[in-house]
Amino acid sequence: MKRSGPVRFAVAVIVLGSAPLMVLAQAPVAAKTSSAAARKLADGRPDLNGIWEAVNTAAWDIQDHGGQLGIPPGLGVVEGNEIPYQPWALAKKQENFANRKTADLTETNCYLPGVPRITYMPYPFQIAQSSKAIAFSYEFAHALRVIHMEGEHPDPNGFLDTWMGDSRGRWEGDTLVVDLRNFNDQTWFDKAGNFHSDALHVVERYSLADAAHMNYEVTIDDPKVFTKEWKMSMPLYLRMDNNARLLEYECVFYKQEEKYKNAPFKK
Amino acid sequence: MSRQPLRAIKVVAAVTIVLVTAFVPVAGQAPAAKSQWTPARTPDGQPDIQGAYARAGIYGLAPQQMESNGPHGAENPLDDTAYSRLPDGQRKRGRSDESLADSPQPQGEGGRAVPLAGPAPPGPWRLGLVDPPDKVLPWKPEEDKKRREFLMHTNPAASLRYVEFDARCALPGLFLNGGPFQFIQPENKVLILSEYQHYTRTIHLDGRPHLGSGIRLFMGDSIGHWEGNTLIVDTTNFNEFTSFTREIPYLSDALHTIERFTIADQNNIEYEVTVDDPKLFTKPWKTAGLYRKAKPEYEITEYACAEGSQTLLNMFGTPPGQ
Repeated sequence: MKRSGPVRFAVAVIVLGSAPLMVLAQAPVAAKTSSAAARKLADGRPDLNGIWEAVNTAAWDIQDHGGQLGIPPGLGVVEGNEIPYQPWALAKKQENFANRKTADLTETNCYLPGVPRITYMPYPFQIAQSSKAIAFSYEFAHALRVIHMEGEHPDPNGFLDTWMGDSRGRWEGDTLVVDLRNFNDQTWFDKAGNFHSDALHVVERYSLADAAHMNYEVTIDDPKVFTKEWKMSMPLYLRMDNNARLLEYECVFYKQEEKYKNAPFKK
Repeated sequence: MSRQPLRAIKVVAAVTIVLVTAFVPVAGQAPAAKSQWTPARTPDGQPDIQGAYARAGIYGLAPQQMESNGPHGAENPLDDTAYSRLPDGQRKRGRSDESLADSPQPQGEGGRAVPLAGPAPPGPWRLGLVDPPDKVLPWKPEEDKKRREFLMHTNPAASLRYVEFDARCALPGLFLNGGPFQFIQPENKVLILSEYQHYTRTIHLDGRPHLGSGIRLFMGDSIGHWEGNTLIVDTTNFNEFTSFTREIPYLSDALHTIERFTIADQNNIEYEVTVDDPKLFTKPWKTAGLYRKAKPEYEITEYACAEGSQTLLNMFGTPPGQ
């Protein structure tokens, strides 16, 4: 914060004088206390501000999977590992898997990947939280979600579906709970063909584990595709790099540069 | 595709805001002069400008910039031929038209009207090109020539490089967007969220330096500070893919902007941006606009662009192997 004239000068002196404590962006988080309780906003809510990232291989496959060329192996993030597909949907998932190099719109066209997929893609995201508003900004395709803390989901009959869902948030104790509906049926949960319909209902739960980690739990419900609800869970890590900030991964632009580099084409 | 706005009335939110702002002197029909307006403060001491906004034009260039001094005179390939045959003074150019610069009414993307919270400050407004006073952009002659040559290949686009960036669903830079926006102020930051192209500008107030010159961004790298009720934002690290209007189809990676957001009253922020691009211009120039607050129940929503766009397919045909 800078203010005018002498006040600004005074603030600068104070900042310089207390540099080890005040320069949060440059200092490792470990320099602060490590407890989650220390991360609180002035309004008493847990302070989720920062740049976060998942460190796992769920972007390739949310279930247990071995390594292949270009696919890092990993333990799944689905609780119990099994996804309760309806029989037709399991066949569809297997078909998606077989066609995954051409049928995944996020992979082929850089389309918005939906939620929760964007959380565990290998790109950081930024949570901006004030006492008045919360927004999630993602490096991948500059995706943006405003978490509306008021109001209800739009009536799906009067509101077109969306790629990233409609996010309605609330606090349950120290957990930020985000309820999402109004999805389309175009996105997958991963590159392995796990999918949903436009009846998807997602509930995310963000809770600080300590000052540098969050627990992230997701409940997936889609009565058109699954026989019952199922869950994913994983830790999210605060990016502690010096001068960390969100950059731009402009997937659509890069794809265009590749696809249309020799344009125009004969029709 | 653009979504219809959600207009659910949130009585609780509205009542809360009314109560919170009740102590503020209301000046009736005449908004208070900026010196008399005392904004609320965020917990870290920033003047609180949080909320949704639309922006009235910063585009307005002088007629001579677009016409006699503009890219192509009467043979402007940006326009259809019927337009080009109109006499001077009868041409309208959408958002680039100077008449828009005279109006404090925001021109949102896709024709979406943003319900405004209150009236504009008393005019006359500083809107459009404000410096140089003669409203002629200080192009380096050789760069103006290159620009005109470039524009000759834009309609139809001769290749991908000549396609307007907003037609490619690319990040639009700082200029090509009338909103709606939403401002959020976490500690030591101001975020400007845009519905159009769903991007986020994060303005760092913690005194950190700019990124190294090896990182180039569509939206640049922004650091800022408050001086009284004015937020001053310094942005560098642009790539060469940012444009101002159709008449200024590109700026260079030497672009450096200084934006001033000055709180005018409870519903309006005066905006001025200094455009310093020493590769293209002989000196910096300034354009001005007005951010106008939306009603408190207004929500920005999803604007998916690439997901529905057929623009490049229609322009160029199908890439081989698709």
